[in-house]
Amino acid sequence: MHAMAMSPGPPHTAEEVLDLFEQGKLSPAEAFSLFRRLHQTGKVPAVHVPAAAAPRAKAREEDDEAERRRRLQEAEAELMSLIGLDPVKRLVKEIQAYIAIQQRRSAERLVSEPLVLHMIFKGNPGTGKTTVARILGRMFKEMGVLPKGHLVECERADLVGEYIGHTAQRTREHIKKALGGILFIDEAYSLARGGEKDFGKEAIDTLVKAMEDHKDQLIAILAGYQREMEHFLSTNPGLRSRFPIHIDFPDYSADELLQIAHLMLRKREYRLSAAARAKLAALLRTEAGKADPNFGNARLVRNIIERAIRRQAVRLVRKARISRDELMLIEEVDLGEVSAG
Amino acid sequence: MKRCIVLGKANVGKSLFVLSFAEYLGVQKVSVTIEEPGRHGQSRTVSVRDAMAQWVSDTPHQTRALHAVQLELPVGKGVKRFELVDTSGLSEGIPRETAIRRAMAQTLAAVREADLVLHIVDASAAAQEGAVEAIGEVDFQVAHFAQMKGGYLILANKMDLPTAKEGLERIRQEFAGHPVIPVSARTKDGFREVKRYVWRWI
Repeated sequence: MHAMAMSPGPPHTAEEVLDLFEQGKLSPAEAFSLFRRLHQTGKVPAVHVPAAAAPRAKAREEDDEAERRRRLQEAEAELMSLIGLDPVKRLVKEIQAYIAIQQRRSAERLVSEPLVLHMIFKGNPGTGKTTVARILGRMFKEMGVLPKGHLVECERADLVGEYIGHTAQRTREHIKKALGGILFIDEAYSLARGGEKDFGKEAIDTLVKAMEDHKDQLIAILAGYQREMEHFLSTNPGLRSRFPIHIDFPDYSADELLQIAHLMLRKREYRLSAAARAKLAALLRTEAGKADPNFGNARLVRNIIERAIRRQAVRLVRKARISRDELMLIEEVDLGEVSAG
Repeated sequence: MKRCIVLGKANVGKSLFVLSFAEYLGVQKVSVTIEEPGRHGQSRTVSVRDAMAQWVSDTPHQTRALHAVQLELPVGKGVKRFELVDTSGLSEGIPRETAIRRAMAQTLAAVREADLVLHIVDASAAAQEGAVEAIGEVDFQVAHFAQMKGGYLILANKMDLPTAKEGLERIRQEFAGHPVIPVSARTKDGFREVKRYVWRWI
């Protein structure tokens, strides 16, 4: 009948709560509060047990907790290692603090805001929206906000069907896949094009309903170009209030793009010659200066790099003897005819 | 046998309620099993009057063990036996004395296993801020926990005292959504409702 009796070896059992209480580490009110949590979830939240109690907890639980914290730190570090994106990082820190405090508040039975974490990501392609979403999913999992924290990506073509009723069904399928994690809808504004009769509206309605029905299991992120997203939200006033978190992804500066290029090359174990470096910098500066929203940002950098790597391969493949250094070096000629194309 | 646990803060009248309720059910002598922390229960039979003289006291934390009183209620043609358990009072903070903590831990453990929780609140002190017996965080936590388990009833005790009316209002407000029965363990007012409620749960 008791939840704690069913789950084999939950992190903290009622007996442990009693032990802590007998040692004078919990007040009766705190003990009851823990009982209630145990009863509801079969688990006692980690934030709740005073640090002095840790030695009494079983080693395995400590490991789990440490492992969880390590994974959280890892995800955080990965986010921080992304180049640029300072406003995004700041906001993620804010969200993280907000979640932690709301969890503490609800543990103390203070009025806590329900955690509504649906988000709008606004920014040009290649500014890191998907990457950030994926990292957020992992962080939310380790923070106990989402059970699984995986990312399901989709776009209009995945959601909108061909006949009446088809759209709702397809949208629900994607939502079902995303339960426990994040549903990431790229170019979400396209769901609103085509006017009243378009099936996109049906997809939005289905999504909004699912967001209510699966409040604790789903975070929806709508992503797209800044201007189009603004327009999309202004034509669907109900949506804005349902997505309280808006994150702007600014375009990368030429310097940031160059840093990204270096990072990509380092990961692939290539390096640029001095001449190639100068050429790439110049190339990126002209591209970033164009302020064309389609110029692709980080994706453009990746395309340039990958093309240069292929060109280097063509250049080297005919040579009889290739040194290790040559294998790693990208010369100016490899960037030669690369254009933003 | 169903177990019905009586709990509340220190000095709200738990022991008097248990014995008084036993008396109300027509028992002259009660068979009490005293379960001290860490020891096996010892059973003895005492008269209600003696028990009252012995256990009911103005000093808080007088009860340091679970006192389980075996009682019977007529159900249909037969009787149903149940245990009414008097517990050590709960405090707001962490008690300093180890013995009291152990006794209280026993109360906590007993609540988890109880079939029915009778939560006694001192109505005469409920409206006073700062009184030891006044309702506090521990009462709310008990209410939240016990409500999930099912059988849960709040008894607003000491209704014979003058300030209790006001206190009852406050209790009804603070514990909105939970059943509250005003009683007086001394005069046995309200015991009929309590009996009906208990009868339903055992």
